[in-house]
Amino acid sequence: MQSSPLLKIVNIKKSFGKVQALKGVSTVIQHKEIVALIGDNGAGKSTLVNILSGVFHPSEGEIYLEGKKVNFSLPLESRKAGIETVYQNYSLITSMNIVRNFYLGRELAKNKTMFSILDINRMNEECKRAIMGVDINVRSVNELVSVLSGGERQAVSIGRAMHFRAKLLLLDEPLAALSVREVNKVQELIKEASKRVAILYISHNIYHVYSIADRFVILDRGIKIGEFEKKDVTVEELMRIISTGKVAKI
Amino acid sequence: MEADINIMEIRKKYDLRKVYFDHPVAGISMATIAIYVLFSFIGTRFFSFDCFTSIFTIAAETGLMTIGECILIISGDFDLSVGAIYALGGFIYVSTAAFLPSFLAFIIAIGLCAFVGYINGVLTVRVGIPSFVTTLGMMMIIRGSLLLTTGGRSIAYKGDIFIPTILSDIIGYGIRPSHFWFITLLLLFSFILMRTPYGNWVFATGGDQKIARAMGVNVNKVKIINFILMGVLAGLAGCMAISRFRFANVAFGSLMELEAIAGCVIGGVLLSGGVGNIIGAGLGALLMAMIRIGVVLAGAPGYSYQLFVGMVLITSSYINLKTFKKIIE
Repeated sequence: MQSSPLLKIVNIKKSFGKVQALKGVSTVIQHKEIVALIGDNGAGKSTLVNILSGVFHPSEGEIYLEGKKVNFSLPLESRKAGIETVYQNYSLITSMNIVRNFYLGRELAKNKTMFSILDINRMNEECKRAIMGVDINVRSVNELVSVLSGGERQAVSIGRAMHFRAKLLLLDEPLAALSVREVNKVQELIKEASKRVAILYISHNIYHVYSIADRFVILDRGIKIGEFEKKDVTVEELMRIISTGKVAKI
Repeated sequence: MEADINIMEIRKKYDLRKVYFDHPVAGISMATIAIYVLFSFIGTRFFSFDCFTSIFTIAAETGLMTIGECILIISGDFDLSVGAIYALGGFIYVSTAAFLPSFLAFIIAIGLCAFVGYINGVLTVRVGIPSFVTTLGMMMIIRGSLLLTTGGRSIAYKGDIFIPTILSDIIGYGIRPSHFWFITLLLLFSFILMRTPYGNWVFATGGDQKIARAMGVNVNKVKIINFILMGVLAGLAGCMAISRFRFANVAFGSLMELEAIAGCVIGGVLLSGGVGNIIGAGLGALLMAMIRIGVVLAGAPGYSYQLFVGMVLITSSYINLKTFKKIIE
């Protein structure tokens, strides 16, 4: 039943000076599944995401993407390998417009050099299509990102990742700053996205992730204390595990 | 009812701001025309071709530095050493032109200024010193060195006429090549900023360095390139000025760094980075040159130039902040 996983991490350790943020975490993520990465503050969730997106190097351990060992020395390499990250600030620069943000680092140009001429028309067209595909209505993709609501910005980030054919989407607290109505829309979008990409979803809010995740990986102070399929665990049990730090029941 | 009216007002205000934001050059263009008209009335012989070419000559030299400073500020840094690099460029050019063809002297001078820019960039990016501090220190080091070397004496230009001819010597009717260099570079860099991937990276680096990095932009490379560019433009401006005066003095370029920054701010650049346009910065330089000449022709003491520029600076900064900042948040 289980074909080879999209992502396999083996014994990932990360220290910052004397502080050990991750003490040997291993797990897999299958194609097109939503894995929730949960745990209390300081558990190491963000550190793990930063390692996968190429911001940090692991102190020890290996990462395998589609069976091949990978080593990211730059965020750019992680992106090129198909891992896109959406941070809490939506990964969008508010002083720039939508299309410039959309194509940042991947600008469409006649040649591939940094001083070549941008293909503005194509960029506007494709961006507009991608934006409409995630249900956002703007007069023009030359509007500043700041005219979009939090949920819309989140949708742009996710839409961007999909447009550039991400294989794995890392979502770091995607719903943290959203209003109730927007939470539902973005959750729907994440569910839609999971039909084409695998998703690693970090959240504090167990209720939010429970509704859409397939599997839960629980971290506590740098180690993985539990891993459950949704059918094997309830929200209350997850919350209890996180707050007590222990999996075993009475 | 009241709530509806308030929303309408807010929407209208927002839209006006947006129009201004979408066309930032509109504001500075109007200001430039307005000031030109003003001085035409109160200044004797201000409204003349002669006067216009004089204005343009000054604007061309300051303008080159303003262009470089504009790109740098948009990417999130400052360069306070541009006046010193301007003087350094002129000094090296004059010194080497005494025994080398002017073409070679020019290349050596520009090369050295580019190198100084490179040092500014490396210190800021790799060592992590804020650019304000790096370039302030560099300014003092350069000026101090120049003073030590020349003892404050002027050095006459004794080279051939090749470079002066293609840089600044009057072609006819008061028009100089530097005017065309200014316009060409203005258009060139505006194009690079708005229509190339590099330009996008410049805006991103200044808008949010962390996000830019996460999206794969080589932020360090962008910053260093911008510092080198700044050095080249400052050196070029210095050589232009020296070709015009036919002598160099280390006092040249004093306070020009502040004028360059003022030109940028008047032209719509936000000091916080990420926002700005080069045409506006060029017009800012033009505006300041107009005021410089205008106040004299209007009969006011030459020193009042600083007074007026100061007022224009604060006013335009206020207008820009009110419109841009609100929209960006």
